[in-house]
Amino acid sequence: MPLSKAPEPQLHDQRKSEENNHHKKRRFSGSNQVPPSHHTPASKKSRQDDSSPEMTDSQKRANFSALTSPSNGLNKHASQLVTNKPGTTKKLVIKNFKEKPKLPENYQQQTWLMLKEAVEAIHKKCSIKSSLEELYKAVENMCSHKMSATLYENLKTVCEDHVRDNIHQFLGETMDSGQFLKLMDTCWQAHCEQMIMIRSIFLFLDRTYVLQNSTIASIWDMGLELFRVYIISNTLVQTRTVDGLLMLIERERNGEAVDRLLLKSLLRMLSDLQIYQEAFEVKFLAATDRLYCAEGQKLMHEREVPEYLSHVDKRLNEETERLYHYLDQSTRKSLVTCVEKNLLEHHLTAILQKGLDMLLEQNRIQDLTLMYQLFSRVKDGLKELYVACASYIKKSGKMIVINPDNDPDKDRDMVQSLLDFKDRIDNIVAVCFAKNEKFVNAVKEAFETFINQRQNKPAEFIAKYVDSKLRAGNKEATEEELERLLDKIMVLFRFIHGKDVFEAFYKKDLAKRLLVGKSASVDAEKSMLSKLKQECGGGFTSKLEGMFKDMELSKDIMLAFRQHTSNLDVPGSIDLNVNILTMGYWPTYTPMEVHLPTEMVKYQEIFTKFYLGKHSGRKLQWQSTLGHCVLRATFAGGDKELQVSLFQTLCLLMFNEGHVFSFEEIKQATAIEDGELKRTLQSLACGRARVLIKSPKSKDVDAGDKFKFNNEFKHKLFRIKINQIQMKETQEENVSTTERVFQDRQYQVDAAIVRIMKTRKLLSHNLLITELYNQLKFPVKPSDLKKRIESLIDRDYMMRDKDNPNQYHYVA
Amino acid sequence: MVLCFMFTWPCVSFYLGWTAVATWKWIANDDNCGICRMPFDGCCPDCKLPGDDCPLVWGQCSHCFHIHCIVKWLNSQQINQLCPMCRQEWKFKE
Ligand SMILES: [Zn+2]
Ligand SMILES: [Zn+2]
Ligand SMILES: [Zn+2]
Repeated sequence: MPLSKAPEPQLHDQRKSEENNHHKKRRFSGSNQVPPSHHTPASKKSRQDDSSPEMTDSQKRANFSALTSPSNGLNKHASQLVTNKPGTTKKLVIKNFKEKPKLPENYQQQTWLMLKEAVEAIHKKCSIKSSLEELYKAVENMCSHKMSATLYENLKTVCEDHVRDNIHQFLGETMDSGQFLKLMDTCWQAHCEQMIMIRSIFLFLDRTYVLQNSTIASIWDMGLELFRVYIISNTLVQTRTVDGLLMLIERERNGEAVDRLLLKSLLRMLSDLQIYQEAFEVKFLAATDRLYCAEGQKLMHEREVPEYLSHVDKRLNEETERLYHYLDQSTRKSLVTCVEKNLLEHHLTAILQKGLDMLLEQNRIQDLTLMYQLFSRVKDGLKELYVACASYIKKSGKMIVINPDNDPDKDRDMVQSLLDFKDRIDNIVAVCFAKNEKFVNAVKEAFETFINQRQNKPAEFIAKYVDSKLRAGNKEATEEELERLLDKIMVLFRFIHGKDVFEAFYKKDLAKRLLVGKSASVDAEKSMLSKLKQECGGGFTSKLEGMFKDMELSKDIMLAFRQHTSNLDVPGSIDLNVNILTMGYWPTYTPMEVHLPTEMVKYQEIFTKFYLGKHSGRKLQWQSTLGHCVLRATFAGGDKELQVSLFQTLCLLMFNEGHVFSFEEIKQATAIEDGELKRTLQSLACGRARVLIKSPKSKDVDAGDKFKFNNEFKHKLFRIKINQIQMKETQEENVSTTERVFQDRQYQVDAAIVRIMKTRKLLSHNLLITELYNQLKFPVKPSDLKKRIESLIDRDYMMRDKDNPNQYHYVA
Repeated sequence: MVLCFMFTWPCVSFYLGWTAVATWKWIANDDNCGICRMPFDGCCPDCKLPGDDCPLVWGQCSHCFHIHCIVKWLNSQQINQLCPMCRQEWKFKE
């Protein structure tokens, strides 16, 4: 009968179930080859305890036996779980003793012979003569008659002899490493199987004698100890085993398929023999470190960043696999750290310098995601990543914003480019960088930095961009799309430091939308206003709101005026509509005196009288540049309705009195200023709808040109708008808007200085400057502040201290 | 009545609509308020918006101020209600 099948299933099961009870929380081996009793809590404990590497062998062994000696360790462990009194277990066992039967004289000798024979049969892998029941009984009897110590010693001697003999097979020189490892594995498996069987025969001894003597190792542990002392402690054997294992792993790292089960089994053996760390792990980690240190340097040099990163990712996965398949879990942290350190941490800066800009530029979502994941594994990785991202954003953003050649196309596209850029970066942060708050903030900070590297212009272009979207005729967006777009614009707006520049241009354009061009949507206008209010507070938008209020009030006034004029003799059927603007809300307009037809003058006078009658203490100023009219014109091809500016109207009306007029004649008759008149005539004679014919023909209008009414004028539409020119911003207009912002800033600085000095009375220069920077909401240079202080001293608002020129007094 | 000048051919244009724009401001004898030194085009320091919300008032001495400024000033004067500019007795015009 083959020995491996020898143990009675019943008994075997009993042992198993017993052990399962105690071992539930232990590491699950998952392998049939390794007996479950491998991992006694005691041996596990000792492994944790002797983790300090400087511990000597003898110390370790002493420690080991001390820990394992309360026999089994299992029961000790269990008793600790149940109760902390060490005596409890003993008492329980003692109660189980049966009454001793009397024994024959040579009983001990004969019984031992029988047992010895059985053990030797197990070792020799041949069948046992006696029945297992006999053997159990024999052990139990010997134990019951105080022969336990002798029995244990005898058993140990038999096992010792056997294990000691096993060393010879490993000392042959002819074996190659693979054969050696296989042989070691076979020997180890056999040892384990044999020890399980022996233990099951001597179970009673294990449960009584061993349990009661804290200095005696359990049978299983005794077997391990023997294997450790006689087999694995042999320097040659240990070196061959460990080197063989390392070589297998190296081959696997080089891409070969290796016998992972063999690796697993032998590494488990080292763990169970408690030499995994000292004999294997140290060397393994050193080899790993060497490998990846060299590999990192080599591949960083050879490969592009995306390829390098995916290689690192592959390596990390492989090592994790290794941990999963055969390495001890205690190696996890050091192993992973070793890979991360050599392949990532040492190369962070190089990776970022070599590849980040390109990945961001090409929007390589997957590569960036991997980069983020890998960088998040190492210390300061993410910090370096977001700092580098921020610097990329600053660099690329600056390219969008700065326009050294003043290329008008580039400026025109600036805001759209900024929006696209922001979208792209936001998407990367959301998808690749897990919306990490640090990255979100770094992006914000970077945008704010580069957008303010060009003064005033970004603010101006943002305002103009909004205008282009809010203007009537912009049909490209639905209300919802427009709303979303405005939200995005607000994000850019938030970064701008000189918000007053934005306000000035926004206001100028809003005025045009309200007075001339008509806004695309009142809802969108109101929505934009409330966004601005939310962002900058009511102070920022109060004047803009005032403009809307003026428009409403004007409607009311016109209602009243129509009622008033219904009883009066007013000139003709002109439908007059007047927008009355409060000076303080609107952009500053330069009044232009022109000659209006008598009817119009009369009509204006009637209105002025009506208005001032209701609002005393006021003065009305007609703004001819902002007026516009609807005319009916008769051409040979039929009547047309022309929507034109007031200046265009004045020019066109002249052709009721003659066929041909020179530039000079028109100028004299209308009194329109030169530049304005040129633009006006250009729009009528050189634009898309040419209702006048100019001679000589050319794109521009010059002095001496002659104009004739174009009787043959044709157009597919009935209503024709020729007043676009008014919506366009002229160069002078742009300059004056910007200048006004600066004047206003000066005025605000003055007001702030006076306000501060009025409360503080006496203040040093530096403190005053600090206070000013706290209060002013636009960028100012200290030298400009100094100029304003000088100017206020000149104007006697404040004075220098007589003794200390750095101190100022307020002059009441 | 049709505002077309029919005596020449071709008849060119007549008005259907005229949208005019006018701005208004206070008629004041100075650019700035003598009390708060702010321009009359703007408002007094206590207000946010110029115009109807912060109107001007005139005294019989012909000096004018933001209404909020002169009222504050008059309230601060214990005995005589004088114009801060010319020291004549302050009386609102009309
Ligand atoms: Zn005032
Ligand atoms: Zn006020
Ligand atoms: Zn006065």
